[in-house]
Amino acid sequence: MVNAAKVLQDLRASAERKPDVVVRLGKPLIESGAVLKLDADAWLVYEQVAIAALDIGDDTLAQKCIQALETKFPGSPRVRRLQGMQLEAVGKLAEAGLIYKAILEEDETNVLAAKRQVMLLRAMGLPSEAISALVKYLDINYTDFEGWLQLADLYLEELMYAQAAFCMEEVLMLQPQNHIFHLKYAEILYTQDNIQLALKQFCRVVELCRDHVRGLYGIKMCASRLLKAAPSKDATVTSQEDLEAMDLLATERLIALYGAPGAAAESSKVAATKWIETQ
Amino acid sequence: MAVQQAPNHFGRLVCLVAFFLFFHSGYSTFEHLSYLKAIDGHESGLPLDITIELLTSVALFGLGIVLVADDFKEILMETEMAKQSIESLDARPSFYSFNHRGRAVFKNVILKDEL
Repeated sequence: MVNAAKVLQDLRASAERKPDVVVRLGKPLIESGAVLKLDADAWLVYEQVAIAALDIGDDTLAQKCIQALETKFPGSPRVRRLQGMQLEAVGKLAEAGLIYKAILEEDETNVLAAKRQVMLLRAMGLPSEAISALVKYLDINYTDFEGWLQLADLYLEELMYAQAAFCMEEVLMLQPQNHIFHLKYAEILYTQDNIQLALKQFCRVVELCRDHVRGLYGIKMCASRLLKAAPSKDATVTSQEDLEAMDLLATERLIALYGAPGAAAESSKVAATKWIETQ
Repeated sequence: MAVQQAPNHFGRLVCLVAFFLFFHSGYSTFEHLSYLKAIDGHESGLPLDITIELLTSVALFGLGIVLVADDFKEILMETEMAKQSIESLDARPSFYSFNHRGRAVFKNVILKDEL
């Protein structure tokens, strides 16, 4: 027996984008009126289901939720940005832009409207304007790691890897314990051909999250690249023995993980082991 | 995912019993004190049976709460972080854009009943 309200709450906390789950659980709650029993959480559920309904294309449900929120909080900028999102979803980008501009004129520091404006510019196909808007926002709110992540994403779409790497460094300053951010940074560095630093970052990923397969692959690829390159006399560079040791460690762990009982059929395990050893 | 644990009926029963004992001992104390006042007797401390009833209710409460409470979360940050998937990178709820094919894909789909 699944408690719909609890699942919706967990999804709000983990910030995962699962609109099908949210709509499937939230629609009966809202249509039966049971959502009002949740007191303060009811409005959060309305907002959550409205956004999920926009993602899925269920415009009637979205309209219903936004209407309920409008009745409860008339004129609130948070509700107005939802209305802006609704217009964005159906493709009326210009009108959505007007709403966000109006909110920002009333209150320059409104974070939600500023962020929506960035995404609106991106949806309109103006990536450089979106980037400048987001940079302006981050000049003021430099502790918003979500914003830095989004900026990194925008730069990556434009293939501007150096700037994306800088954004990821800002994210890492704010959230140093999250191995996923280190992983993204490591992969950007690898793409930039900065293998030395990429190797260090991949090691950090595996340090923060034991047996992270993607991190182990990263270590293998970096180590084998560096071993093939000419050995350098530079003392700051990782030595050959260390590289070989890391390569061996990554290989062993990968084979152990892929060979774990119940992981796959025997033939697949054999094939995976052979392939890992040749990398 | 996040399924609520089956309510522990025994634990709830124990908590209920403990609550009644607690309430009963409180009421008995009140009655005892009014009785003493009625016979103008001096206060000689609580009778032994009320004390035992009170302490029993506390012990039962302890047991009941432990049975009813949810499972603990891990204390090591590592185990919580390991559950983070790579999709959490793309989550960014304030930065959702809606020009994706979800609207077309889900248009005529009846969502399945499992989670």
